[in-house]
Amino acid sequence: MLDVSNLAVYYGEHQVVSDVSFSLEKDEILMLVGPTGCGKTTILNVLAGLVPIHAGTISLANWRATAKQLIPPEKRQLGMVFQDFALFPHLSVEQNIYFKLKRRDRAEHWIRLLGLDAHRHAWPATLSGGQKQRVALARTLAHDPQCVLLDEPLSNLDAALKDSLRWEIRDALKKAGVPAIWVTHDQEEALSVGDRIGVLKGGRLHQLDTPERCFSEPSDRFVARFLGEASFLPGRLSADKKIAMTTLGEAPAIPINEACDNIDLLLRPDDLSVHQDEKGEGYIKWVRYEGGARFYAVQLEDKDIELRVRVNHEQQLAPGQRVSMRITTTHPLAAFNRL
Amino acid sequence: MHRRSFIQGIAAASFLTATPWARAFQSDQRMALSVEQLPSLTGELTLYLGRGEGGLYEKVLDAIRDRNPDLDLRVRRGATAALANTLVAEARAGVRRADLFWAVDSGAIGLVTANGLAKSLPPELTSQLKAGFQYPQWAPVTGRIRTLPYNPQRIAASAIPDSIMALADSQLSIGWAPAYASFQSFVTAMRLLNGEQQTADWLSAMKARSTSYAGELGVVMAVERGEVDLGLANHYYSLRLKAGKPQANIELAFTKNDAGCLVNASGIVCLSENSTAVNFIRYLLTQEVQSYLASEAYEIPLVNGVSMPAGLPGLSSMSPPKLDLTQLADLRPTLDMMRDVGVL
Amino acid sequence: MKTIPLSYLPSALIAALAIGPIIVLAVLASESAQVFDPHNIRVMINTLTLMSLTALGATLIGVPLALFTAYVETPLRKTWLVLLTAPLAMPSYIGAFTLYAAFGPGGEIDNALGLSLPAVRGMPGAVMVMTLYTYPFVLLTTRSALRSLDASQVNAARTLGMSLPGCLFSVVLPRVTRGIAAGALLAALYALSDFGTPAIMQVDTFTRVIYVEYNAFGLSQAAMLSLQLLCIVALLVFIESRVTGTKEMPGRPLRLWPGRWQRAVMVSAFLPVLILAIMLPLSVFSLWLWREGSGNFELQYAFNSAYASLLAAAVAVLLAIPVAHAAIRSKSGRVMERITYLGFGVPGIVMGTALVYVGLQLPWLYQTLGLLVIAYVLRFLPLAVGAVRTASERLDPSLVSAARLLGARPAETFRRITLPLTVRGIVAGAALVFLEAMRELPATLMLGPTGFETLATYLWRVYEAGYFGHAAIPGLLLILMSVLILMLMLSGERRAEIELSDP
Repeated sequence: MLDVSNLAVYYGEHQVVSDVSFSLEKDEILMLVGPTGCGKTTILNVLAGLVPIHAGTISLANWRATAKQLIPPEKRQLGMVFQDFALFPHLSVEQNIYFKLKRRDRAEHWIRLLGLDAHRHAWPATLSGGQKQRVALARTLAHDPQCVLLDEPLSNLDAALKDSLRWEIRDALKKAGVPAIWVTHDQEEALSVGDRIGVLKGGRLHQLDTPERCFSEPSDRFVARFLGEASFLPGRLSADKKIAMTTLGEAPAIPINEACDNIDLLLRPDDLSVHQDEKGEGYIKWVRYEGGARFYAVQLEDKDIELRVRVNHEQQLAPGQRVSMRITTTHPLAAFNRL
Repeated sequence: MHRRSFIQGIAAASFLTATPWARAFQSDQRMALSVEQLPSLTGELTLYLGRGEGGLYEKVLDAIRDRNPDLDLRVRRGATAALANTLVAEARAGVRRADLFWAVDSGAIGLVTANGLAKSLPPELTSQLKAGFQYPQWAPVTGRIRTLPYNPQRIAASAIPDSIMALADSQLSIGWAPAYASFQSFVTAMRLLNGEQQTADWLSAMKARSTSYAGELGVVMAVERGEVDLGLANHYYSLRLKAGKPQANIELAFTKNDAGCLVNASGIVCLSENSTAVNFIRYLLTQEVQSYLASEAYEIPLVNGVSMPAGLPGLSSMSPPKLDLTQLADLRPTLDMMRDVGVL
Repeated sequence: MKTIPLSYLPSALIAALAIGPIIVLAVLASESAQVFDPHNIRVMINTLTLMSLTALGATLIGVPLALFTAYVETPLRKTWLVLLTAPLAMPSYIGAFTLYAAFGPGGEIDNALGLSLPAVRGMPGAVMVMTLYTYPFVLLTTRSALRSLDASQVNAARTLGMSLPGCLFSVVLPRVTRGIAAGALLAALYALSDFGTPAIMQVDTFTRVIYVEYNAFGLSQAAMLSLQLLCIVALLVFIESRVTGTKEMPGRPLRLWPGRWQRAVMVSAFLPVLILAIMLPLSVFSLWLWREGSGNFELQYAFNSAYASLLAAAVAVLLAIPVAHAAIRSKSGRVMERITYLGFGVPGIVMGTALVYVGLQLPWLYQTLGLLVIAYVLRFLPLAVGAVRTASERLDPSLVSAARLLGARPAETFRRITLPLTVRGIVAGAALVFLEAMRELPATLMLGPTGFETLATYLWRVYEAGYFGHAAIPGLLLILMSVLILMLMLSGERRAEIELSDP
């Protein structure tokens, strides 16, 4: 299937992608995430053959592209879904979906599956955002690609639509049984939709793994922070490196990058408990009500550390109240070398 | 409503195309020939025609075509100078497309003859032309005389000096067109006749009371409107203006024996050794063509025995200066002088 | 690694072709010694004054008219647009002459109505005439930029409490500076290269000096002066290229529904422009037609005009497409594009002569319709390039990527996506070239096949001889044909607007 190795891309003198390698299984969805300018869209454009590469190889079922050997986009059998949908404004929905097709039965399949039957003769300009993206997806899948690239497909849609369309797209991709690379800057989207996640920064792949491992065992603090709320609590690692000892209690630990002795323990908001306690080690800095839960920022007194914790909404604390905290989790926590 | 020129145009066209060639002209050798006396023209002929004269030359060409059905006459029109430059460029590149060059301006003829492109014409052809208009390498076709058109409502004829040089000392307001080729030829003639210093002095004295116009038609129109007392212009502009507007406030005055009444000529050059081309020139010098151009374009016929255009006294009553018109191609010092004086 | 885009080779060839006549000019100029004449300073000042005031005047008239034709909902919208752009078809020397003849004491207006108006002449007259015949450039470029702006920003500004004029001035116009600058550049280049108007208005400009030199057989000096003029042209083209603008996605244009009296005010504000630029010349022609008769006009001339201009328009857009694409893609492409602009600033007669020399190197091409078409293309290519480039810049690049990824080769992508979506620019470019070629004179005279008479050459012939009445029919035909072409241009636009409008 899709195989990428040692990819390097320059814009002029500026290197935007360095040494990126990965490969995709038959119907696997890889989420590429990272902050703005991390090179994630560039990687898509490179895979699609829209931007030339300077080193490395990209290969799919029956082609192989290198810096020397260019494969034009139309030969790559890749589908791409664009952020701005890229529907041809002068063609109707149906004409868009049929674009290069000789046989139309597959197109009909996707038109029905994505609920576009009623709109087949409409002009793209008359469609809503969600409909546009469904048309773009139908167009892509109907052309029977070997791999689908999605460039922030949901970022131009409103929040309510995002959630449902996310699953619609995932289902469609799985039904089509093609591997997909899905670029997003939304970590929640990445964690929920992806079979694997690749976290990019500065054109480098910092971590490539399942959503669970990326979240609970991030390869570095950047990945830890990028994928969710992350607090770091100083502590010590036991000699067998299995237990982390902190002022808030002990917890099973996984050393990252062979961490030992003085460590910072990664705490997610649900790894902690918080209680009102006049002799507690910190006080409530601020609170956010989230409906089913409350989210607190707690300032620890003795060290300049802020911890964030999410608890049941029934537990009400006011800013300024003194509290004590405990590590409550039973799963291992990532331990990083103290900076 | 006045439609004289229109009706005359139609009448003349039918005159040329239908009947005129039957009307033989009583002539001796010195007089213009009739087309009846000329051999018919055959074969291909390419004519470069500097300026079209609003279809009047075209009517002449059409009449010649009608008379000679075997003649394949192709005409390229253009600004006279542009065609002259084109001819020089063609000669340099070794390309020859034109057999004849009919130029509205003798300066352009000068450029072409100076580049050695003109073929000599037979003496019996050139001898048909009036004395002073016989040149071995080109044939003047029609003439135009420098005149002083004036507005009789503003000044009396007696107030106009009969010397162009004296005009500089008069108190009249004057319209002129220094950028116009005919005016520049006139200044060139003055340089040749009166010398550089006098010409420069005259120009700077005139400059003080002159208004510049783009062309001499503009000058004539300005005189008629009364913007200026008097203008410097070729004669036919005034005659054409009067033809379209008989009550126009314009009369013509002439100076005597100086550049102010220079007779310049349009002319034709033969560019290839081609007897058809030479015979074509003979057609232009016939009684019929000459009188047509005189009556319709108000141009001065240069072949003996053809009457002057209406509104112009006979050539004999004028006293144009004696000058080799080809010398008028010496424009460069004229332009430099006009620039130095600041009139151009 | 770097790949050279497909459009570079043709662009480089076209740029080289455009430089050809300039090299000829340099060779011709090298035969004369005089590089500079102190007299020329005055000429230079006049030239620059005429040029700047024309560009300014064209902007002052063109931009409000662009706003009017782009946004205001009014009956006969398209008709207004066609009428307002029609001056493009009128040769400015004809306009200049009729205005000159109509105004002033003793002019035709004075004769007919006894209304003694001040004469149109000198620098003010020249600026007025040039402005009247070049503002459509600004109108068209600005309007097309305006049409592609999304109305939402204006609506936002108005809900924030800004008045409509305030919005137009501070929200709309800053976003179309490039469109305005492109039109002003064309107006300025036209003012630089036009001979007829300054000559008739008696303003001593570069072209007039060039013309005087040329007619005095100082071809070499005329070439030298043309090269100096080219320096101004190059500077102008450079300045215009520095004008930056915002790039935004096209959206639904603003629509304004003025009240009855507001419409009346607008129409009466720009009616004088139409009266001066179109109605007055045509009335004067008709008066002369009635007075003098019609002459021997043949319909063949109109056919010749249309045929040659159509060929030129087709070839020009064909060549403009790679040049425009190269210009969008890179700096070097932009340089090539800018080179093609030089031809627009050379006075026609000098360009014509230079092309005679070029044509003479290829005797099989010399004095054929082919060479004439090449001359038109070299002179008017910038009009096509500008229009095609503006349209292509607005094309969303992801559409091209999408088509490629769906399996379309570059050629197919161009045919099925790029071409239909830029057809408006292509048609507009072709129409501009067509209109300019229709009124072009010197190159037509010097380069066309022998005996090839067009509307413009016929107009010139009768104008030169002072038989103005004969100009009436070809003048009317020029206007009529330009109206047809403008309507074609607008029908292309209507098709393009389907995509962005509500059902």
